[in-house]
Amino acid sequence: MTDFLETMVDKFTFKVATDRFYTAEGVWAKEKDGRVRVGLSDFVQQRSGDVAFAQIKPAGTVLAAGEEVAVIETIKVTIGFASPVNGKIVEVNPAMNDAPEGINLDPYGAGWLAAMEVADLEAERARLLDPQAYFNVMKGQAEEEAKKL
Amino acid sequence: MTARTQKVIIVPCSGIGKPYGTVSREAAYEVTDDLRPEQTQLVPLALLVLGEEESRSIVAECPAVTIDGCKLACATKMVQQSGGTIAQEIAVLDVYRRHKDLKPVGIAELNEGGQKLAHVLAEEVTAVVDGLLTSKQGGENA
Repeated sequence: MTDFLETMVDKFTFKVATDRFYTAEGVWAKEKDGRVRVGLSDFVQQRSGDVAFAQIKPAGTVLAAGEEVAVIETIKVTIGFASPVNGKIVEVNPAMNDAPEGINLDPYGAGWLAAMEVADLEAERARLLDPQAYFNVMKGQAEEEAKKL
Repeated sequence: MTARTQKVIIVPCSGIGKPYGTVSREAAYEVTDDLRPEQTQLVPLALLVLGEEESRSIVAECPAVTIDGCKLACATKMVQQSGGTIAQEIAVLDVYRRHKDLKPVGIAELNEGGQKLAHVLAEEVTAVVDGLLTSKQGGENA
């Protein structure tokens, strides 16, 4: 069972799963069965809006951290997201073709984007934010967004 | 049976300033003004939100097709809260996913893709309306 850090900003509730690591841009990385799954945080999916299409780099693509791993088209924006880790994509979530709304419905579970092989997991973790650190960053971002409303 | 009970109510999203809301309304106008003017009636979501008696009454009596512009699904929720029967919920986003080349852009005035998407959506709503009326006639003739 995944635990969450949770905050309410304006009328919106945002959750941060505590079992993974994050970039400041809200892309998460979670180790699972020797691979690293990547996906988008709850705050990112709520801020971006309903997802219409998700284009993810195909299996076999080698990425450096910071290079684009996916482009999401929502009812509001089309936005690219950078890979949180150095590695090779070994699997793309097949559900993203027909049901990309999984990103909105279950961002920390069924809405994962891709699985990657990484060479040095410890080194990757060291560059990322832990859940509490991302929670603090995300809360600041959410409060900034709320000021625009 | 009155003419009023033979109509299908169309309730589109009221999202102002959002392309998908505009698509939903343009489609609703096309259905109720051009494609099936005698068989359908548009009920503005705002009147349901305000609790306007005539609109609530119509929605309570006739089957409704709701067209939602986003996952908040305000049109569907308001029809339900107004005591209406939803014959079909349609989400603009689902239609767009089937027609990726018709990306809607613009608010007061949709781009060509948005206009075409609204037309496709209107045809889907019309098919639902025809199906409802056909099944209703079949029931009455049985």
